[in-house]
Amino acid sequence: MSDLLVARGISKSFGGVVALSELDFEVAAGEAVGIVGPNGAGKTTLFNCLLGVIPPDTGTVLFDGERIDRLPVWRRSRLGIGRTFQRVELFHGMTVADHLLVAAQARATGRPHVRDLLRRGGPGEEEMAAVASMLALLGLEDVADRPVDGLSLGHARLVELGRALMAAPRLLMLDEPSSGLDVRETERLAGILDDVRHRQGTAVVLVEHDLELVEEVVDRLCVLDFGKMIAVGSVDDVMANAEVRRAYLGSSA
Amino acid sequence: MTTLLDYAIPGVPFGCVFALMAVGLVLTYKASGVFNLAFGAQAFVSSLAFVSFVADGWPRWLAGLVAIVVLGPALGLVLDRVLFRRVRTASPLVKLVPALGLLIALPQVALIVAGSAPDIAPPSLFFDAQRVYLHVASVPISGLELSVTVATVAVVIALVAVFRFTPIGLEMRAVVESPRMTELAGVNAGLVSAFAWVLSSCLAGLAGVLLAPLYAQLDSQNYTVLLVWGIAAAVVARFASLPVALLGGIGLGIGQQVLAGYLPAGILATGLRPSLPFFVLLAFLPFARQRQVDDPLAGCDPPPTALVGEATGYRSANLLAPSGGDGAGHAVAGWHRALQARADRGAGVPSAGAHGVVDRLASRPTLVVAWAVGGLAVLSALTWVPNVWLVTMTQGIAFAVIFVSLTLLTGMSGQISLCQASFAGLGGFVAGQLADHFGTSVLVGMVLGGAVAAVLGVVVALPTLRLAGLPLALATLAFALLADNILFPNSWVGNGATGVTVPRPQLGPIGFNGSRSFFVLALVVLALVAALVRTVGQGRMGRLLAAMRGSELASVSTGIDVHRLRVVAFALSAGLAGVGGALYGSLERSLSPDAFNYQLSLVFLVVAAIVGLGSVSGAVVAGLVFTALQTEVATFPPRFSGLLPVVFGLATLSYTRHPEGIVDFLGGGVLRALGRRRQGAAGAGGGDGPGAGPGPADRSSARTAARSAVATGEVAVPEGGGRS
Repeated sequence: MSDLLVARGISKSFGGVVALSELDFEVAAGEAVGIVGPNGAGKTTLFNCLLGVIPPDTGTVLFDGERIDRLPVWRRSRLGIGRTFQRVELFHGMTVADHLLVAAQARATGRPHVRDLLRRGGPGEEEMAAVASMLALLGLEDVADRPVDGLSLGHARLVELGRALMAAPRLLMLDEPSSGLDVRETERLAGILDDVRHRQGTAVVLVEHDLELVEEVVDRLCVLDFGKMIAVGSVDDVMANAEVRRAYLGSSA
Repeated sequence: MTTLLDYAIPGVPFGCVFALMAVGLVLTYKASGVFNLAFGAQAFVSSLAFVSFVADGWPRWLAGLVAIVVLGPALGLVLDRVLFRRVRTASPLVKLVPALGLLIALPQVALIVAGSAPDIAPPSLFFDAQRVYLHVASVPISGLELSVTVATVAVVIALVAVFRFTPIGLEMRAVVESPRMTELAGVNAGLVSAFAWVLSSCLAGLAGVLLAPLYAQLDSQNYTVLLVWGIAAAVVARFASLPVALLGGIGLGIGQQVLAGYLPAGILATGLRPSLPFFVLLAFLPFARQRQVDDPLAGCDPPPTALVGEATGYRSANLLAPSGGDGAGHAVAGWHRALQARADRGAGVPSAGAHGVVDRLASRPTLVVAWAVGGLAVLSALTWVPNVWLVTMTQGIAFAVIFVSLTLLTGMSGQISLCQASFAGLGGFVAGQLADHFGTSVLVGMVLGGAVAAVLGVVVALPTLRLAGLPLALATLAFALLADNILFPNSWVGNGATGVTVPRPQLGPIGFNGSRSFFVLALVVLALVAALVRTVGQGRMGRLLAAMRGSELASVSTGIDVHRLRVVAFALSAGLAGVGGALYGSLERSLSPDAFNYQLSLVFLVVAAIVGLGSVSGAVVAGLVFTALQTEVATFPPRFSGLLPVVFGLATLSYTRHPEGIVDFLGGGVLRALGRRRQGAAGAGGGDGPGAGPGPADRSSARTAARSAVATGEVAVPEGGGRS
């Protein structure tokens, strides 16, 4: 397996707080990597640095062998990196179906051109089919025409996931996708991730506190603490690591 | 070196004036989450009361006491209770519009109550305003300057102490972060917020009364100008630090005096000085991070109507089915419903004739109202309407074009612009100047004027790309001031006080000198503009704009180039506003630099938001209603000449409850009632398919029906409607 995403020497500090220090991180194509760590360990900052939402102080990011650390966020997204947010970020006022459609169309016309001004907005047959099958995959058919603002958190997270998946990303970065979901919804999420990985070979980076979900999904686990990677390896190995137990699970665990 | 000091020292009292404004703004922002642009208006109200009392023979101390400690806080309490409390966690636009509305309305309300501004020179509260009390480095300091400086510094020290060392200060800070959390901790958030308003209103009163002697005559405009300087100082303080607001204000005061002293006389000196806030704003706004209202309990209870309404934004008629789950009438939602209906038909689910005309109309009330009003207007205009009203209607159409440009920019794209009048003005000036110098036809001039305004739109958009919400609004406001002071007075733009003549157009043999022919021309222009914006809104670009409005962060993460999208939206909107301005100029045959000043930009946004930013038809209604009221009010006795701003100010009350706009709300109510009656007649078992627009009354039955429809349709949907 070749490396899809390679980050080297990523550092970021906010004022005096070091969020990430000289961090190396890589994801192979099709691989599922979990990132765990106590709150404030720098997990979300790592996401934002990799995706360009926050510029890192130092470090390089390669995607598919190309430097991407100077590209704007939207360009990285169109190279094939999809993401969801720890705090749900939806397009207020748009319906669930429109979220999926806009993602499908952004792939084609994300950069607006003058000719787009007068392009009709109705979806093409292909887009329609893609949206319909995504709705089915997510099980969101019966809320498809609802504005997202009234959705439950569980549904909202699924919409976010669907929006990211519509662009058929090669790398999917999920920031605590199961927080706020009930057991059944979490199971559904795991099922969807499994489906996406095996059918499309999408690589997944999963930041998560739900260790059961992590165990179920990931091939490899990284533990982040105080902006440093303190352990990398298979789930079992990492969980057996004494330092990890101290940092994350508490010494008594 | 002495000369520099000579300029700098008189700048300090000036700076304290700005600082007083800035401190008031920061205080309300810190304590209530609202950037209270009405602060200037509150200051004016108190100063008017003070001067009126003194004119009536009250002693100065009593007049001051009543104006500052009784009247000011009372006003603040009322504003908090009826207006600002309900928008504390709303979006920037919903917070901004009531404040702007009050900024426009309050002075007029006060003038109507007081009768007129008393024609005595405003007295000073302490000291003798003109007498020189001391010299600092041989610069004389008058009583006015002394009192302002002393009072400002004292106020800032007292406020810092309150925020830092008292329980109420701590509670004020907590209430902004999360009113509900604070309440759970046993604090009465309403009381704390009320206290903050009382405090800041006292400050507004103090500012108003102290500053009154600065001017020979009381005029609310003066306070608005001071407010802009105050805004700049508040931005320097990043909306947060009271001491920095003080220093920022003083810095600005010194800066403007030094600029005035060293710049060569001429347009640069007269123009640059008032434009200093613009440059300060632009330089500091990117650092003034807007407060994120992170309410951990958000979502625990249903959001207030204001939030639900605002959230649906463009073509917000889907409010009519709040949880009917149908999203009826959303700009781009219809397609999926249609798809599903097709699938249902394919699967043999009876659609129960759900697409009744009334239902469809009920989901688009603004449109219905607009067509009714518009049709009536056109019909009457071409037949019996007297010339005065014909001209009024044509003005209304020209304004409607400008309002449509706001629909595009604010309604669809979620960008706030407080310089729309500047775009319109530029369009008009270009058309006039071209006709004047090159004999260009005004019709061509309109297009070129629009093009130049579009370029200006890009110029505004580029430096503000990273701003959103309140900072963006303030930056565009500052830009409008810059246009007023530096751009328009030039002979090659607005031609100073004289203005520019804009001829009526001539199209081959057809002249448009008559009122009726020009009316028809204006109508054609409006139709073209409206059709363009509608097409954009419903097309691919419209969906991208809606996504940008919904969340810029999510948009870029979905692969949308938001920066470019914003530039396009600003350019297009500015271009359309420019066309509207040229149309207006040609109607009036001339355009003075004052015709589209920054205040009109504020009025534009307030009116457009109140009437309805959600749709093109709302903008048309806004334009017509605005000019009709203006013409009507002009015939009132002088005391009530300010009635129009009052109406719009009061209408912001309705706006905070119905941000979808008054037309959608009122029209929707009527049509919804009609729809309900029709549905009642059709029988309870009507079996609403997913295509119906269920009223609130039959929400639950609709939900059940929708669920069963989906249950049967589930098999068919993934395959699409093709397989029947």
